[in-house]
Amino acid sequence: MEALLIPLSVAGLAALLLLADIAPAKGDARGIGSFAALGLFGTLALTWVVAPGADPSGSYVSDAFTVFVQRLVLLAGALACVASIDHADAHFPKRQGEFYLLLVASVFGMTLIAGARELVLLLVGFETMGIPQYVLAAMHKDKKVGVEGATKLYLTGALSAGLTIYGASFLVGAAGTTFLPQIVTTAPSAMLGFGALLVLAGIAFKLGAVPFHMWIPDTYASAPAPFVAFLSVAPKVAVLATVARISWASGEGMFSWWTGDLLVLAALTLTVGNLFALPQRNVRRLLAWSGIGHAGLVLLALGLATTDGIGAALFYLTTYVVSNIGAFVVAEAVGGKVGDEVEGWNGLARRSPGLALAMLLFLLSLGGIPFVAGFWGKVLLFRTAWAAGQSAMVFYGALLSVVSLFYYLKIARAMYVEPAKDPTPIAVGRATILAIVLALIGVIGLGMFPAPFYDSAEEAGTALLVTGPVALVTP
Amino acid sequence: MTGPGLTAYLIVAAVMFALGLYGVLSRRNLVAIVVSVELMANAANLNLVAFSRFGGHPQGEAFALFALALTVAEVVVGLALVVLASRVSGTLEADAMSELKG
Repeated sequence: MEALLIPLSVAGLAALLLLADIAPAKGDARGIGSFAALGLFGTLALTWVVAPGADPSGSYVSDAFTVFVQRLVLLAGALACVASIDHADAHFPKRQGEFYLLLVASVFGMTLIAGARELVLLLVGFETMGIPQYVLAAMHKDKKVGVEGATKLYLTGALSAGLTIYGASFLVGAAGTTFLPQIVTTAPSAMLGFGALLVLAGIAFKLGAVPFHMWIPDTYASAPAPFVAFLSVAPKVAVLATVARISWASGEGMFSWWTGDLLVLAALTLTVGNLFALPQRNVRRLLAWSGIGHAGLVLLALGLATTDGIGAALFYLTTYVVSNIGAFVVAEAVGGKVGDEVEGWNGLARRSPGLALAMLLFLLSLGGIPFVAGFWGKVLLFRTAWAAGQSAMVFYGALLSVVSLFYYLKIARAMYVEPAKDPTPIAVGRATILAIVLALIGVIGLGMFPAPFYDSAEEAGTALLVTGPVALVTP
Repeated sequence: MTGPGLTAYLIVAAVMFALGLYGVLSRRNLVAIVVSVELMANAANLNLVAFSRFGGHPQGEAFALFALALTVAEVVVGLALVVLASRVSGTLEADAMSELKG
């Protein structure tokens, strides 16, 4: 039971939120957001005391990889909760309880994925992550665009779930078991390959890999912004964990079928994400398309088929979590007042110098400029890819990173060069400021001291190789 | 064992899955799309139960039960969204959803 401490804590937090939500309301409903955030930060602290080990059936294992992934999703969830407090109170004050409940439920699914070594648990985790997101995307239920974005997310998500489960049925059929270590060591067959391909396609939907990306810009532009901050980072971590858990279930890998596919997906995703971000005039859409580009880099790292690649991807995602959440929180704080079009951001540096500086740092980090977090993420990812012999992909990825500076700096130019039409400062809530400051600490901290974080990401990647044998529940 | 063999079940499931996939991609009515999603999920369940019956291992059937629960949860949320969409936009046609473009 001890191995399951983290998922159980998150589930317990969700249960408490449910109780708080149905209890007769009195006083300030804002408190429930602070409670959810504190609960997730508390669980994050628990990850330092959880004992390594597996649950008795061997379906779930808690090792360095599990813990690293859980820390990332808990951090993303907690930051999103803090960032949501002002937004939820202003836009859906009566439904705050369910908002946080669903957010925490989604985090619960991700913490299960992190340690799953059994296909049913993995898929249950995957759906527990996905289903609450459909509802969260529709929180602005009176707005036509909000419902439209949520419906698009749902339709692609449901299609993805259909593909994944149908593919998984072939894996189970070919291997005769649902335990991943046995599935991946089953003799290769057409059935197994077909199943693996369908599962990969289903997973790629969640990551937003091209050609499964069409929902991303619409959903990002219409869903509640603090939730988008979460949606843009946490599922990427969960998808990475899913692919890694399946691939290294036995310490060897299923990548014999996946490597080529992943690299093709990576090249497509990098190209489309970065090029379509270029003409965007809407800040949220720009961040959405650039997020697709970042997903391409994660796919590149996965396609290396080495645990070093997984480590590099984990570190890259660490930098991405703080940078992208920060950027979306500022986008919400500013966009809520002046609209999402980039023209509205003109002269922000004179109106609200603090917000403008924070956004600049987040954008520089996303673009990979030295001495903020994203730089180290990109450098170490490219170095790992280079060492694995993917020099062409490294050149291509670096080229597109330069391209990405053009669109990131478009926002910076509006903030710093263009004159402001309206010189009044933008009012920002206290909780939103706290979220921005926390993300800034992450971005600057990771930029100054990347080494300990990179080491533990590497260690998490290597831990995939040393998972012990499964305690079998034989029929 | 008499009756149709494993391949027959797999073919039926594949036909169901293909129909569901075709429905999701081609139908314009939101309810029809949700029904098609359900069809795809049931194809997977049929596969799982057939593999379990002919392979002699119970895990496939257990998986099918979990898969059913997941599909139900997903369809419930989907239908709620469809109701919401019809209330907000007054139609069930997916083509009416054109405020957001890519």
